[in-house]
Amino acid sequence: MKGRLLVSVFLMLGLIGWGGMVYAGAPAKVIIGHPACLSGKYAKAGEQALGGIKACVKWVNEVYGGVKIGGKRVPLEYKYYDCESKKEVVTSLIERLITVDKVNVVFAPYSSGLTLSGAPVAEKYGMLYMDHGGASDRIFQQGFKYIVQTIGPGTRYHVGTLDMIHKVDPKAKRVALAYEDSEFARMVMRGAEEHAKKLGFKIVFKRTYPKGVTDLTPLLSDLKAAKPDFILGGGHFEDGQLFNRQMADLDINVKALSLIAAATLPAFYEALGNLAEGVMGPSHWEYGVKYSPEAARKEGLKWIGPTQDEFVKLFKEALGKDIMPDYHAAEAGAQVLAYVLAVEEANSIDPTKVRAALDKLKFMSFYGGWDVDETGKQVGHSMVDMQWQGGKRVIVWPPEAATGKLYYPMPTFAEKAKGKVAVPK
Amino acid sequence: MRLVKYYPLIPVYLGYLVLFLIGKTLPGMWQLMAMLSFYCAVGQAFNIFLGMTGYVDFGYVAFMALGTYGMALSIAHLYQIEWLGIGIIVIGFVLAILMSGLLSVAVGAVALRLRGAYFAIATIGVNEGFRYLIEGAKLWGGSEGIIFSKQLTEAFGRGVANKLSTFWADVFVLFIAAIAALVTLCFIRGKIGYALTALREDEEAAKVMGINVTKYKIIAFITSASFAGLIGATAWALKLTHVFPPEVFEISYTVECIIIVLLGGAGTLLGPIVGGLIYGLSKYWLTVIVPGFQLLIFAPIIILIIVAFPEGVVGMFKRRVRGTSLEKFVI
Amino acid sequence: MIWNQLAGNLTQGLILGGVYGMATMGLSLIFGVLRVVNVGHGAFIMVGAFAALWLFTALGITPIVAIPIALIIGIALGFVFFYLVMKKLVGAPELTSLLATFAMGILLEEVVKLIFGTEYRGYNWDVGRVDLSVTVLPWAKIYAFLGSVAIAVLLYLWFNKTRAGTAVRSVVEDSEGARVCGVNVGWVYALSFAIGIGLTVASGVLLTMFIPVGINPYMGGPYTLKAFVIAVLGGLASPYGAFFGGLIFGLIENGSYTLFALLPGAEPFALTRFLSFVILLVILLIKPTGLLGAK
Repeated sequence: MKGRLLVSVFLMLGLIGWGGMVYAGAPAKVIIGHPACLSGKYAKAGEQALGGIKACVKWVNEVYGGVKIGGKRVPLEYKYYDCESKKEVVTSLIERLITVDKVNVVFAPYSSGLTLSGAPVAEKYGMLYMDHGGASDRIFQQGFKYIVQTIGPGTRYHVGTLDMIHKVDPKAKRVALAYEDSEFARMVMRGAEEHAKKLGFKIVFKRTYPKGVTDLTPLLSDLKAAKPDFILGGGHFEDGQLFNRQMADLDINVKALSLIAAATLPAFYEALGNLAEGVMGPSHWEYGVKYSPEAARKEGLKWIGPTQDEFVKLFKEALGKDIMPDYHAAEAGAQVLAYVLAVEEANSIDPTKVRAALDKLKFMSFYGGWDVDETGKQVGHSMVDMQWQGGKRVIVWPPEAATGKLYYPMPTFAEKAKGKVAVPK
Repeated sequence: MRLVKYYPLIPVYLGYLVLFLIGKTLPGMWQLMAMLSFYCAVGQAFNIFLGMTGYVDFGYVAFMALGTYGMALSIAHLYQIEWLGIGIIVIGFVLAILMSGLLSVAVGAVALRLRGAYFAIATIGVNEGFRYLIEGAKLWGGSEGIIFSKQLTEAFGRGVANKLSTFWADVFVLFIAAIAALVTLCFIRGKIGYALTALREDEEAAKVMGINVTKYKIIAFITSASFAGLIGATAWALKLTHVFPPEVFEISYTVECIIIVLLGGAGTLLGPIVGGLIYGLSKYWLTVIVPGFQLLIFAPIIILIIVAFPEGVVGMFKRRVRGTSLEKFVI
Repeated sequence: MIWNQLAGNLTQGLILGGVYGMATMGLSLIFGVLRVVNVGHGAFIMVGAFAALWLFTALGITPIVAIPIALIIGIALGFVFFYLVMKKLVGAPELTSLLATFAMGILLEEVVKLIFGTEYRGYNWDVGRVDLSVTVLPWAKIYAFLGSVAIAVLLYLWFNKTRAGTAVRSVVEDSEGARVCGVNVGWVYALSFAIGIGLTVASGVLLTMFIPVGINPYMGGPYTLKAFVIAVLGGLASPYGAFFGGLIFGLIENGSYTLFALLPGAEPFALTRFLSFVILLVILLIKPTGLLGAK
């Protein structure tokens, strides 16, 4: 009886699944599928990406008029589930999106690890797989055919920062590298180390710390003893805040500090207050960058998408919260635009054709430039460096994108405690 | 007829067969089926120890992790040897068993002398300790882990490699689950089952009766760990083509094993399957219907189950069918 | 120069250890009385951290004042959880209570996430720092340490000088005997659980005095693991053992960092954690009742 009960339960489930499949997906619309990270360790980035995608999808449908394909304008839809930041859920959700919801493209979940986990399934179905949250270079060395990257590769993150310091203070030679020991941060460190050596910097401290570290004091004490001129480091959000805070606790003063991921987010300043003054971070995108249709025209690039302010407005509406979008939102949104353009170029939703179109695609949006190499790695997008000045984020590098002057050297923590802000005269 | 001994396997194998068929014939169900069979398999493997002894090994996921490394190392290092062909996968499995088995011997030597909460904590210690050893001493790639998609493709060609990751890896999981079920039944029905039941009831009394409690604990422990290694080798390494230490040593998998076994009924044969199906399906549907809120709903449900239904679904079912003809099917 | 580093790290470790130890006292108390391991331990610390954050940023209450407030919140929470869940599980197999506390932890995390979101927050309570030549210590950290010691002392007084405390001790010794002597054992269980939770939540405040950033719903995980090691170090059933275990743990965690950093090509933090778990296993092997526990 139990066996029969089991079989009938399974038949029922099968029918439900089959029914669901039959019901979903009528043609005449383009669907983006996404196993988003709405809970678990990447919840924060996932929420931002969700807002960014929703914002741009709305823009495509309401302002742009839909996706131009086969002579018609077709609406763009967005189907997403919560992968809980876990790899086995990712594969089952991606398959569901492809076979049940009949999506035309899959956006990878946030983080290099999860992006990698979903790649084989996407490959199996020959489905286009777009990566907005996995910055590891290694993903593009595996030979996947359908993966295209919107986020910039890790190795480029701190290159601009080094250029900037080299130009502003050629005498500051001693650099300390202190990064999180994770796939992405290690890529950044590798790129930074290489570039630093090229420019003639002296690496006086090079160390990593584990993900989820709760106390950086021992590492920072050793760093202090190395007497660096400036520090490059970081990993994700929580350790960035910890890094800055414990530098203040230990009274470690350097001329510049650049932390990846954490420093560019509003929460950073909220948590640290004045202690964050003068701290810098490389970013894919900050509110205030000067990308516009005119700038695109100057560089001979196509322009598509909302302006910055339109994007911010759509983003806030999409999430129903009054929070500013950060670069996770922007790069996810830009990915939507890239896809739409490629579909229009290819005049088809066939993944192979769209993939080929993405290969040739070059354009600019509110997010910046976009161009991929033959492996799908993003090469057209440049990082900007921002700095906290007077509680506001100011873009200080590169000169073409800058909205203000660099404040250098950073005030000491004693000065910051007394209220000094890093606003240049 | 001796075969009656194996009747309880029928519902188990039937269940797996149905899972396989649904996955193969209905479009879009394969990955879901794969996820469900993963949960059933780990539940089955975990049950071999937890169900039989009542001890909670909180560091269980370390065995899965080592199995993953076994397969990963085999592929990453042997892919260039042409004549090995499918042997690479076989070697991967063998390495997986060896590595997880060895770790279980080491853990067992320390932890199995302890009881209750101390045992649980000792096993957490091993799990975390080993992971930090790998990261700290930069063993096997350290925290960089190993990505071997490319090597897999080079060894087998794109088509076969993809089939391995998206089809065969999951079929292997089902095989392993089936074998684990068989082993569980043999244990339950054999001397080891008798000894461990005595231990579960009252460890002191069992020792006094002359039962070599330690020997059987160790056997169950190593068996359970070896299966975990096999599952890791296929469901994580072969399927996902990469291994990152923080991902494979995550303690939440152990907790999921515990939930699955408890839900279904610890110590029963059918329990892990029922538990795995219920757990996997609920998680899947919850994530589809209320993305972002699954845990908020799950947590109180878990509490409810623990408080109101401690013997699990199959445990309750067993009581109902006692004395009826179905008894020989439900173990 | 290495000695300077070491001395500096050890000082920091001692101070941090005091907070760790205090954070573990609740865990040990609950285990000692109810024989339940609170696997959701970290989530309660997180609740305390959020309490400190909110009280400071929304109401301007300094963390020192937040400590007793958090204690009361924690005790209330403890009573709620006990009567809702734990009461029915006294005497049940260990596994069920382990899972119950784990589920409570998840519930807390999700509820806090619902209220506060997933953002990483912090607050800035700057009361200056003192420069010892080997290291620099903000006053906030020193206050956290003193607070931990104060609470440990208060707990000691409560245990030994009050009737309720004595009742709890009697139950730890021999619950049947205590019952026979007229002690309301059920009430003792509830009280102990509540106080244990209260201590844990209060320790969250102290922790933020040490590390006032990175506060988010999922921050508790690493602390649960550390707490297990410390509890075993000091003796799973002994709250004072936990405090001293914490001090030792802090010293080892930070002190060993300098030594591991000397090894080329190694990642020192991971190795210190490895070391702490090795110590855990060694103690479990040799003296499972902990360095300071009873025989």
